[in-house]
Amino acid sequence: MWLPVVGLIIGVVLGFLFSVEIPLGYVKYTAIAIMSAIDTILGGLRAQLEDRFDLAIFLSGFIVNATFAAMLAGIGDLLGLDIYLGAVIAFSIRIFDNVGFIRRDVIMGYLKAGGRGTGRAAGRSAS
Amino acid sequence: MGSAPLSLRGLRARREQAGMAVLLALVGFVVITQIRTEWLIKRDLRIPSRELEGLGFALRQQEQSRAALEAEVADLRGQLQEYEKAAAEGRSAAAQTNRVLVEMRALVGLTPLEGPGVTVELHDSPRALQPGEDPNKVILHYSDLYAVVAELWAAGAEAVAINGERIVASTGINCVGTTILCNTKRMVPPYVVAAIGEPSRMAAHLRRPGGALELLEAFDFPVKVSRKTRVQVPAYRGTYRFEHTKINR
Repeated sequence: MWLPVVGLIIGVVLGFLFSVEIPLGYVKYTAIAIMSAIDTILGGLRAQLEDRFDLAIFLSGFIVNATFAAMLAGIGDLLGLDIYLGAVIAFSIRIFDNVGFIRRDVIMGYLKAGGRGTGRAAGRSAS
Repeated sequence: MGSAPLSLRGLRARREQAGMAVLLALVGFVVITQIRTEWLIKRDLRIPSRELEGLGFALRQQEQSRAALEAEVADLRGQLQEYEKAAAEGRSAAAQTNRVLVEMRALVGLTPLEGPGVTVELHDSPRALQPGEDPNKVILHYSDLYAVVAELWAAGAEAVAINGERIVASTGINCVGTTILCNTKRMVPPYVVAAIGEPSRMAAHLRRPGGALELLEAFDFPVKVSRKTRVQVPAYRGTYRFEHTKINR
């Protein structure tokens, strides 16, 4: 479980080290893609906690969702309709859902583990 | 659970974690980049990126109209320069023309003039006619006036008028019956000939022996020559007209 956190930290550090500027016109699309990525990651976390994680589904979900969200925003721009707002709302709802499930899973893990250790330790022992 | 499935599961979990780590690194990188970009936009432009498109559109429009206006300004500036050039040329040309015109008008007698000069006052003879005497001997003739004017021109007069009638190039002095005409205006005695020029020179010329005035005085016509520091000569009131004349340039 530490590896993803290390990856996240590495990514953040890299983001701070290399100042890549996103072109002004694409800021909106990257924001949508980030929303979808956060959603996918939380989904993955939840799946892992529930022990039904699959890398292929996770990766494909990550890529397809991000791409599709950005595409939706682009189509919305073409149509003159703020379709990306729909994507934002959908991702927001799913993020909240996932956060809720993760919270529940972690708490349940704590309760199940009892005095044996943390929820994370319970997760690891499960895997 | 055997050791093989356990290690397989562990391997799978490790692989999953590695995949997630890579993705999280990517996401972390993108998120930070996005946040930094947004922060830069807010810091530099002081507006959130949401409003960028509208503002960009407004900016493009403004830039277009500005370019159009700049082109117009350049165009108008060029025009102004041309006008100024033309005006400067026109002004100097007009001033030159105007100066020449004023001189010409003065020369042909269309402007009132004044200056030092003399006046010559001529009266018909007060002598009573003897019975059977020719009345022509006691009245002034156009030829007498003409003689006086000619003498004044000869003495360097610059402008001459008889009883307020300016002598110009087309002036004729003649008579109809007992009336003298000058510029086709009737003259009545006394005749006052005003001339601008050097007073003493003109007076001396008029008074010279054998001159017109001496002849008139010999026939008892009262003649009075006065030098003046200021003689006024009016403008020619008639018209100049060319009906048959062509100007040879």
